[in-house]
Amino acid sequence: MSETSESDEVRELFVQDGVLLFSAAASFINFVKSVGTLMITEYSDGTKFIEWKPIDVTVDSDIQDQEWAVVNTVEKRIRTLSGTVPPEHKNRSKYLRISFEDIKSFRISDKSRRLTLNDGKSEPICTYLFQHGNCDHLVGCLKTLVKTVASRRDKHLFIIPDIKDPEHEKIDRSFAELNVCTDSAYAWKLWNNFQERPVVATFEAFAKITDLVYRGPEHREIDADDVKEILNRSITEYESTTTTHSQGDYEVIDVPDLPKRRDFPRGKPLNLEQWLGVQDNEGRIEDSECIKLMIFQGGIVPSLREEVWKYLLDYYPWNCTKIERQKLVSQKNDEYFSMKLQWKTMTKTQEDNFTDYKERKTQIEKDVSRTDRTIDFYAGDNNPNLQILNDILMTYVMYNFDLGYVQGMSDLLSPILHLMQSEVDAFWCFVGFMNKLSSNFDADQVGMKEQLSNLHTILAFIDPDLAAYFDSHDSGNMFFCFRWLLVWFKRELSEEDCMSFWEVLWTGFPCDNFHLLICCAILTEEKRKLMDNNFGFTEILKHINELCGQLNVEKILNDAQGIFYQIKESEQLTDVVRLLLGLPILSNNSFDNHETSPFEESIDASNGSSSSPPKCSVDNVRISPDEVTFEKSLSSNFL
Amino acid sequence: MAKTYDYLFKLLLIGDSGVGKTCVLFRFSEDAYNTTFISTIGIDFKIRTIELDGKKIKLQIWDTAGQERFRTITTAYYRGAMGIMLVYDITNEKSFENIKNWIRNIEENASADVEKMLLGNKCELEEKRQVSKERGEQLAVEYGIKFIETSAKASIRVEDAFYTLARDIKAKMEKKLEASNPPKGGHQLRSSEPPRRPTNWLSRCTLL
Repeated sequence: MSETSESDEVRELFVQDGVLLFSAAASFINFVKSVGTLMITEYSDGTKFIEWKPIDVTVDSDIQDQEWAVVNTVEKRIRTLSGTVPPEHKNRSKYLRISFEDIKSFRISDKSRRLTLNDGKSEPICTYLFQHGNCDHLVGCLKTLVKTVASRRDKHLFIIPDIKDPEHEKIDRSFAELNVCTDSAYAWKLWNNFQERPVVATFEAFAKITDLVYRGPEHREIDADDVKEILNRSITEYESTTTTHSQGDYEVIDVPDLPKRRDFPRGKPLNLEQWLGVQDNEGRIEDSECIKLMIFQGGIVPSLREEVWKYLLDYYPWNCTKIERQKLVSQKNDEYFSMKLQWKTMTKTQEDNFTDYKERKTQIEKDVSRTDRTIDFYAGDNNPNLQILNDILMTYVMYNFDLGYVQGMSDLLSPILHLMQSEVDAFWCFVGFMNKLSSNFDADQVGMKEQLSNLHTILAFIDPDLAAYFDSHDSGNMFFCFRWLLVWFKRELSEEDCMSFWEVLWTGFPCDNFHLLICCAILTEEKRKLMDNNFGFTEILKHINELCGQLNVEKILNDAQGIFYQIKESEQLTDVVRLLLGLPILSNNSFDNHETSPFEESIDASNGSSSSPPKCSVDNVRISPDEVTFEKSLSSNFL
Repeated sequence: MAKTYDYLFKLLLIGDSGVGKTCVLFRFSEDAYNTTFISTIGIDFKIRTIELDGKKIKLQIWDTAGQERFRTITTAYYRGAMGIMLVYDITNEKSFENIKNWIRNIEENASADVEKMLLGNKCELEEKRQVSKERGEQLAVEYGIKFIETSAKASIRVEDAFYTLARDIKAKMEKKLEASNPPKGGHQLRSSEPPRRPTNWLSRCTLL
């Protein structure tokens, strides 16, 4: 903060009138509660400031929270400028000027009417109240000039990472980590909170500290700044809530604001060179997680699919040698044909006396004749590939008679057989796929109902409006997504797209139930069309069914990944949603033992810099506690 | 938005997997047949507007997956149906036998006064016939419903079937309205009525 500085060239990048200085350091005490103009300025040496200058209208502090009509005589002015300022503006001695370098974070509150700048130390630098409209324009402008990142703990807090001096930041953070609970300033704040604010603010601060203590030293690093903020803002928070209530206003309970959705462009597909590169001399793949991650990010080049799918579908173990694989293939070959023989040798009488079997057989015949017949591989009368499709499904009935055959399975097998072109390989890969999806085919459809219900839960978290819309239009059961889920979008996508889509989902990244996030990605994309047209029960179903052939796989994967991070980074994240996505439950003590995949670190690191797949190295796949990894990668985005 | 129809009837096609429900519907809605049909997963519907006695009737026809396993999902769509086509395959004895199960299914899940009709499809495959026409007729009599043998592939009597069902629904509906609303010379049904939430199929058809 500096009071005076002469400079010849000042560019006002943004100007907003009618901004009240709500609180500031002692040297500006005379201006507190004064209305003025807030500016973003750039000086000839390139340094940027947020400047506030008072005008003559002052407001009595007693009426500060009344309707701002009192001072509405001030001309409304919001503008973004790029020209230099006329000479009469050069006398800037009265200005409250804060260098961008001093601002470590800012917090928006009171429905964007209040902006607090923080220097990362104990006290906020200052707080402004926006009488005309809100600070959205200013913040928008600010965000174009500096990198900001939403705080994980406080949706209203934006942190400005220190891009100039990463080392300094690290030291700073280490310091904070060491001193966080012993610093007298914090203790004093805490004591103040106790005295001045009965319950809420203090408890919140305490909760954060408890959190900090319970979560072991490795987590303190990431939380130190946040805790400081919590302690800091408890004062202003308290004031703003009480004043709101004293005005008889009702605080509207906001729907949870998710962090902004980030873009995750698809990477390059796994290629032969990379594939061979991860195998040792004997053909083992030790780093399967890394391979899966690459596939998650970019898929597989088509020529390599046939081989890699066998791993993804648990036919080949990742760590088996070439020789072991040959042995396995021969054994699985025998196993397949002995099962095939079981049904092949069944007599007519046996079949007639075996109703369950016969029903399955009939259903397979019916479905095989109408599976993907438009694809050359299955087209035409007496196509031998149909017979293979039939035989694999029949053999699967013998392999898993309890599950048997259910409509939809032929859809799941078709692309696999087309790719493998081998009956035995296709069978064992299909077994692997069915192991992942068997609950879709439960006799009582419990698995499907559960997924539809889970989909609703997640949707209600990320887009409550849309979920409520479905509820109020007889569609809260989400049945219109049934086909999507049953056969993993097979019916909505071309065969090629379906293959690229499935292999991504098979990796299991970035979380459990990622396919439900895919659904959310599509639904939120269609939200406007559904709601603006006021579609009802039937129209919703029709609209969703007609998306068949319209979906862009790259886009939905990108969007779903964006949604994953929005959820993950949301501070209102509930345990229910955490469980659905397989994220650790924070309140649980077992959190400290939670180990996560390398996904977080590598994804984030690669996303920030480039979309190319990460290098495969031991560093990349280090197993580390989820949250720490996440925070590290987040900050590494900006280094 | 101006209404292009006087009544909207919701119809439902049910029956075993592979009896040709989707083909019957495709024949009726598009007057076409496709040899590369796929099995129905979940549920879908098609629309065709027909004219009966000078009234435009929009038929919203729902097609369901046939396999028993999906019934818990598909029965959710029975609600509000005014007419149901029970379809079996004349070349498949089992699908005919299962009609009684489907009837029970309707009784459990659809409104009691839903208009029903029995359809023996694939009648062009005379040489593969397993269910005689007489048996079909007899079963229909047993349930007090109408019966038609159709062929979606050869386009035989599919139109008849839907027109008949629609006519019966219309007659039943008008009779009910007359009973509850003694005629005063004017029309009881107006498509310009302000929309309100239908409580049963009867009121639904007057509005939609």
